[in-house]
Amino acid sequence: MNSNFIGVKTPRKDALAKVTGREKYAYDIYLPGMLYARVLKSPYPHARVKKIDVSRAVEMGAIVITFKDVPDVMFNPRLISTPDTTYKDWRVLTDNPRYIGEPIAAVAAESEELAQRALESIEVEYEVLEPVLDPIEAMEEGKPKIHEKIMLGNREIVVERNIACRLEIQEGDVEEAFRNSDLIIERTFKTNKCYHNQLEPKVAVVNPEPDGGLTIWCTTQSIHNTRLLISEIFSIPVSRINVKRLPIGGSFGSSIQTNIVVPIAVALALKARRPVRLAYTKEEDMYEHSSFQMIFKFKIGVRKDGKLTGGYMENIMDIGAHQIQAYPLLGTCAGWWVSLYKLQAVKYVGVAVYTNKIPACAYRGYGNPQVTWAVETIMDEIAEILNIDPIELRLKNYVGEGDIFWGQGPTVKSIIKSCGVEEILRKGAELIGWKNRPRPGEQKGRFRRGVGMARGYHTSSAGSPIPGQVIDYTGAILKVNEDGSVDYITAMVDQGGGTLEAHAKIIAEELCIPLEKVNIVQADTQTTIYDVCTHASRGVYAGGGAALNAAKQVKKKLLELAARVLDAYPHTLKIRYDKEKKQGVIYVEGADGREITIGELATLARVKNWGTIAAVETYRPPACPPHFTGYFVEVLVDTETGIVKPTRVVIGADVGRVINPDLAEGQLHGGFLMGWSRATIEDLKYSRETGDIECRGFITDYKMPTVMETPTEIQTFFVETFEPTGPFGAKGLGEGAQNPAIAAIANAIYNAIGVRFYELPITPEKILEKLKEKEKIELKIVEGV
Amino acid sequence: MIKIKFNLNGRSVETEVKPSTTLLDLLRYQLRITSVKRGCEVGECGACTVLLDGKPVNSCLILAARVDGRNIVTVEGLLKDSKLHPIQEAFIEEFAVQCGYCTPGVILTAKALLDINPNPTIAEIKDALSGNLCRCGAYHQIINAILKASEKIKTRT
Repeated sequence: MNSNFIGVKTPRKDALAKVTGREKYAYDIYLPGMLYARVLKSPYPHARVKKIDVSRAVEMGAIVITFKDVPDVMFNPRLISTPDTTYKDWRVLTDNPRYIGEPIAAVAAESEELAQRALESIEVEYEVLEPVLDPIEAMEEGKPKIHEKIMLGNREIVVERNIACRLEIQEGDVEEAFRNSDLIIERTFKTNKCYHNQLEPKVAVVNPEPDGGLTIWCTTQSIHNTRLLISEIFSIPVSRINVKRLPIGGSFGSSIQTNIVVPIAVALALKARRPVRLAYTKEEDMYEHSSFQMIFKFKIGVRKDGKLTGGYMENIMDIGAHQIQAYPLLGTCAGWWVSLYKLQAVKYVGVAVYTNKIPACAYRGYGNPQVTWAVETIMDEIAEILNIDPIELRLKNYVGEGDIFWGQGPTVKSIIKSCGVEEILRKGAELIGWKNRPRPGEQKGRFRRGVGMARGYHTSSAGSPIPGQVIDYTGAILKVNEDGSVDYITAMVDQGGGTLEAHAKIIAEELCIPLEKVNIVQADTQTTIYDVCTHASRGVYAGGGAALNAAKQVKKKLLELAARVLDAYPHTLKIRYDKEKKQGVIYVEGADGREITIGELATLARVKNWGTIAAVETYRPPACPPHFTGYFVEVLVDTETGIVKPTRVVIGADVGRVINPDLAEGQLHGGFLMGWSRATIEDLKYSRETGDIECRGFITDYKMPTVMETPTEIQTFFVETFEPTGPFGAKGLGEGAQNPAIAAIANAIYNAIGVRFYELPITPEKILEKLKEKEKIELKIVEGV
Repeated sequence: MIKIKFNLNGRSVETEVKPSTTLLDLLRYQLRITSVKRGCEVGECGACTVLLDGKPVNSCLILAARVDGRNIVTVEGLLKDSKLHPIQEAFIEEFAVQCGYCTPGVILTAKALLDINPNPTIAEIKDALSGNLCRCGAYHQIINAILKASEKIKTRT
């Protein structure tokens, strides 16, 4: 298909502002006359505030709020699930802190320094309670209760044995499937708790308006849900709250929920009747959000020919001190598993458990990288036991075109209509030199090379033909200007991946106008229609779908009006992109000269009082098609230091039609690096003695990859398919770009040294330890002979 | 308060700072140069990088009083007659920008490198960038952009 913009390399529209330092993030918002806020946080993982004395802070002239001054409302900061499936256990400030770092009180003053001094003058007497840090221990009888009562929707529920929520799913007869298996493999996996480490710390700037309303600038992936939540907590009519859409300095899932800085800053601004800025430091940010830690138990049955039969999965999730999206995650984890490979029968038990740790939230992939790591490890093991090529085993079992796909757990299902899995695996194998990979564990010597692969996917949006338990719709507004340009107004947030850039290209393509004539308008909740959130890799697929439909509406109106001018029938008119005129031109085919530019038409429409050519589209994606990826990684393991280095990486992806090839490639590169980090480096370790994270919020002690870890050789390729439900055939990418990375790296390490790891991250220390164990065993075998 | 006078992006600035004020706070809070990003404030992430007498420094680790009589360049200072610097052009052309939060600091680090080493190898680029974190993981594109900028600068001079 010939395209002007789709699949064509075009510079980012926002790049100019970003390279010149003029891009304004929420962290860059300073209002005249504003106060600076600081938050007092619990130094104990589990405590009760017996007494709090803020009198000195008040004497210092600071505005002070404590748990006594905030509305008595229990909420969940994430509003994406339907209300009846939303578990609520949060308060803006609490007298019963449940993790180190939980906000107790807050102050606002003329400078950050004054605010800090006021904060330090507050005296708190705590009753220190016993913390629970391990999810398995937390479920034992007699352990301290982290929550007594919470809300499910509008219903109060009692928490038993610190179980936050649970989900069981059974389809088919698993025992029967196991009986019909030639091999049953059982494994336990433990994942790491990771910190998003987006560069921009969480921030909120709140301006109280004269009518009792609020204007809010903050780090968020969803301006509309932020507005709804603030309305819910503070009983301010939703229409009086205006949340600004801003670029965000990375998020990776950490601002799907409204960050706690927002309601705290709102409470301070309401009390001060002045603008308030609450900007977290990096250390505070690390205590605000992190990923879920999971313990999986898998039992998978397979026949001699490599056909999988049935499976059991247990998923115990350590969710930290509060619920954000624990319940929907229990569902998606089941979905990620059953949508990788076909199983005739499945049984799933998911349990989300409270601990006295930083609340866990979504982190790029929403459980999928972890589940994929476990499943793809097992697939590798099965392949080796049955002596089947690992790629052939995957091709024999994968869920592909025509199969049912659990996009967002059991309530969001659809049929897969586009799938490039086979081509990804075949081409990737060829590029990495799969046939020449070493045999696992056979190498000797200090440096050992390993090649591993894994495949995966992610949902594009949470759309489906039926409503389900996840809210997923979006919207777009388009209006045509007199110069032939269009203003594009959306509530979607660009997290850096280029979501809005893709929308602009879709609009330009449909209307045949130059890309520079699509203006991505600054927007807020007052000027946009509802969008749920930029998450679930839905930006291009769902948002692009809305943009395309809005452009189609506009096109129809353009043709209707042009028909009046050109004296022709609307349905016979055509539009072309005129590069010289830098305009879209509407013309009558075969009739030379009967044409009008979109700019001329919009101008004429004004002069003739025909009105503004504009469209509003509210859009529910009809499906959540999986975008597929395949990773092939070559590593070099230093058996003396345990250090692993990626030497070659090949990544293939089916994202349907590629809208923005260079930005798509950037997602794959970034996906690998983040996967590398989660597989081998990152770990938010807790000290059992203090109940605190060992790095204490310092990124000097929380390692993440720098440019030094970037392999020089990363090869990416796209297998283009056409997704019939996507805009110009496109699907998502942001999360699938990373999902199989951890698994492929782990399989490569196994290939190099012949040792499997069932606990993340795979650090040099763990590698050395396992190599020693292996040597001992091998020595014994030799001695035995 | 300490009186200081220094050159910021080619213009003379006179102001007063507290002994404890960091260069980052001076630039962001007093002078509202928001391109200098507040990241980790412990000299790890490089988001607050500025050029001090041509050398890249973490402005969070420098006391403002120390810049008296010296030259500071932020990314705003790279524009010449509102025209982009070749490094800025290359960053756009090579898609080295994602969320953009690390970008001003990375560009300044690149500028300092190319000023003293117009033909850097990939290893030298990596070495220079090792103090600038990009969580989007755009390092590959950033390296390509710096290589391209190096070519651009050579052909223009």
